[in-house]
Amino acid sequence: MKKQWFRLDNAALIFPAIKRRGWNNVFRISATLRDDIDAGILNRALADIRPRFPTFFVRLRTGFFWYYLEEAATDVRAQKEYAYPLTHMSQSELKRCCIRVLYFENRIAVEFFHSVTDGTGGLVFLENLTARYIELRYGVVIPKEAPIADLGAEPRGSEICDSFPKHSGRFAMSRREATSYRLHGTREPDGFRHLITGMVPTEKLRGTAKSFGATVSAFLAAVMAESIKEIQERECPERKLKPVKITVPVNLRKLFGEETLRNFVLTLNVGFDPKHGDYSLREICDQMTFQIRSEAVPQKMAARIAANVGPQRMFLVRIMPLFVKTPVMRAIYAASGEKKGCINISNMGTITVPPEMEKYIERFEFIIGVQLSYPNNCSVVSYGGVTYINMIRSIKESELERLFFSKLVALGIPVEIESNGRAGK
Amino acid sequence: MYCVKCGVKLQDGVTECPLCGTPVIIPGEELKERHETYSERYPKENMQMKFGILGFITTVMTAASLTLFLLCMNLYGRVSWSGYAMLGMALVWIMGVLPLWFRRPKPVVFIPIDIAAICGYLLYICLYNGGGWFLSFAFPVTLISGAILIGAVALFIYVRRGRLYIIGGLFIVIGASCMLIELFQHITFATPMFQWSLYCVTVFSAVGLFLIIAAIIPPLRDYMQRKFFI
Repeated sequence: MKKQWFRLDNAALIFPAIKRRGWNNVFRISATLRDDIDAGILNRALADIRPRFPTFFVRLRTGFFWYYLEEAATDVRAQKEYAYPLTHMSQSELKRCCIRVLYFENRIAVEFFHSVTDGTGGLVFLENLTARYIELRYGVVIPKEAPIADLGAEPRGSEICDSFPKHSGRFAMSRREATSYRLHGTREPDGFRHLITGMVPTEKLRGTAKSFGATVSAFLAAVMAESIKEIQERECPERKLKPVKITVPVNLRKLFGEETLRNFVLTLNVGFDPKHGDYSLREICDQMTFQIRSEAVPQKMAARIAANVGPQRMFLVRIMPLFVKTPVMRAIYAASGEKKGCINISNMGTITVPPEMEKYIERFEFIIGVQLSYPNNCSVVSYGGVTYINMIRSIKESELERLFFSKLVALGIPVEIESNGRAGK
Repeated sequence: MYCVKCGVKLQDGVTECPLCGTPVIIPGEELKERHETYSERYPKENMQMKFGILGFITTVMTAASLTLFLLCMNLYGRVSWSGYAMLGMALVWIMGVLPLWFRRPKPVVFIPIDIAAICGYLLYICLYNGGGWFLSFAFPVTLISGAILIGAVALFIYVRRGRLYIIGGLFIVIGASCMLIELFQHITFATPMFQWSLYCVTVFSAVGLFLIIAAIIPPLRDYMQRKFFI
């Protein structure tokens, strides 16, 4: 039988090129159910949804000119979670399968290599997997309305296509931007990832954000920026202060009305320059809101897409062998990729599931891995009236987390903290 | 349960706040069992890179040895000077590369291995040249140096206190062993007895004795520390 294969989408191209022996770009979405997970049923659910979601059950292969995704040769099976979240996905693992399905007590988690999909696509996958699992386990029927897919149907073309070229603008926007301040600390020698989950009531968070005239994303970005500002002020003399910028991913599906399950996301770096003077939290909130609103519009996003798609279309680039392309991409990434922001705050928004599923699911979580050079990252998701703010770090110091969460507490938002070990034991 | 410093609510059973490290103390209340949200095991350290480098070094050394061997066979039809080079390379490998394959190489295990390897190398040189100096000189001298080295390393690793006594004692032992070495030199090469070793014994014993005295008299030790700290 002919093997199915997929070209990498435009945003996915960079991830295989920049992966390192001890690091690559992986994120994780998990659903916590009310009962313990039955591995056998989970494996059946995985097998059931495989034909409907072919772009997820893939492995990373190397062509002569490009990397590509090929359907995984073997069954993808659920593994018992054996270590801390987002353990390194090695080269040999990517060659077998680019996703990892894990279960631990009553939680199903899927860890994705970023070339496969982005957060939104990953969530659709997890929701469908969980829905199928609940159907098999409890014998209920879940209506097949978006995001739950009809497993009998063929995957739609619009789901598996790369949407970037379709929406590329005619003129590219310059990527030039000021370099931001960089967080740093003592690296954990064995690659351990500390995870701190802050749980806050969504209504309270939304209310506080509204009182600052901001959305939840802009508000959290502002509080984070203020925390980073304080860390920087402690370390640097005034004349050496650098801009504090937060990287915020923008889901392009909403802007362009797409439904692809591949990557379709671009990031914005929003922030302020502390050299200009002291900003209060309200002023930072205004900056964030204004910058996100003015940048996240289809016209400007199309121009940003054009800057990314342009090189991929150039004939000279296309005929360059992969072993030449990879170092070039790495150099470009090193020069620009991670120097324009201090931390990511990826907000998935509020997850809604069909009412038939609701009573079985306790919570959802979304965790992104750390970047190559900056040690902290943050991801946010809301479900069932609780917002889960996950802060992951590869260093020992928890100063940023402490500042961030105590600021929320000081603003009158109650925060409950969970952590994954070492510290706090 | 809340952290008194950050004001965040904590999980049951944690002993300190994960954010600021403030200990959680609730007087008159038993600590509850903590429910772990993630698996407590950790994956193995990533050793790929290290093994890659070690493998590369090993391959290069093997290839070099092989080349020398073939060269020698071509030129002379037997192993001549290349034997020194090949065994020398093996010696370097055993001393420098072999311990690195292990996660925590124990010196007490690897120093005897190194000494055995050095003895083997010397034996080869001796046999190749027909010198006859191995058993009566090289072997005992290597053994003595090795024994002193192992003793020193073991004392330093396993005895935490009394470093000054250990160092002083070592100096005296090294001085005494010089005399033994000269004795073997005399037996093997018929050199006159006890010439250079007397100087060694005097100097080493003096230094050793001084260190031991300094260890016995704390004010002297403090004075020395004040004057000579680095």
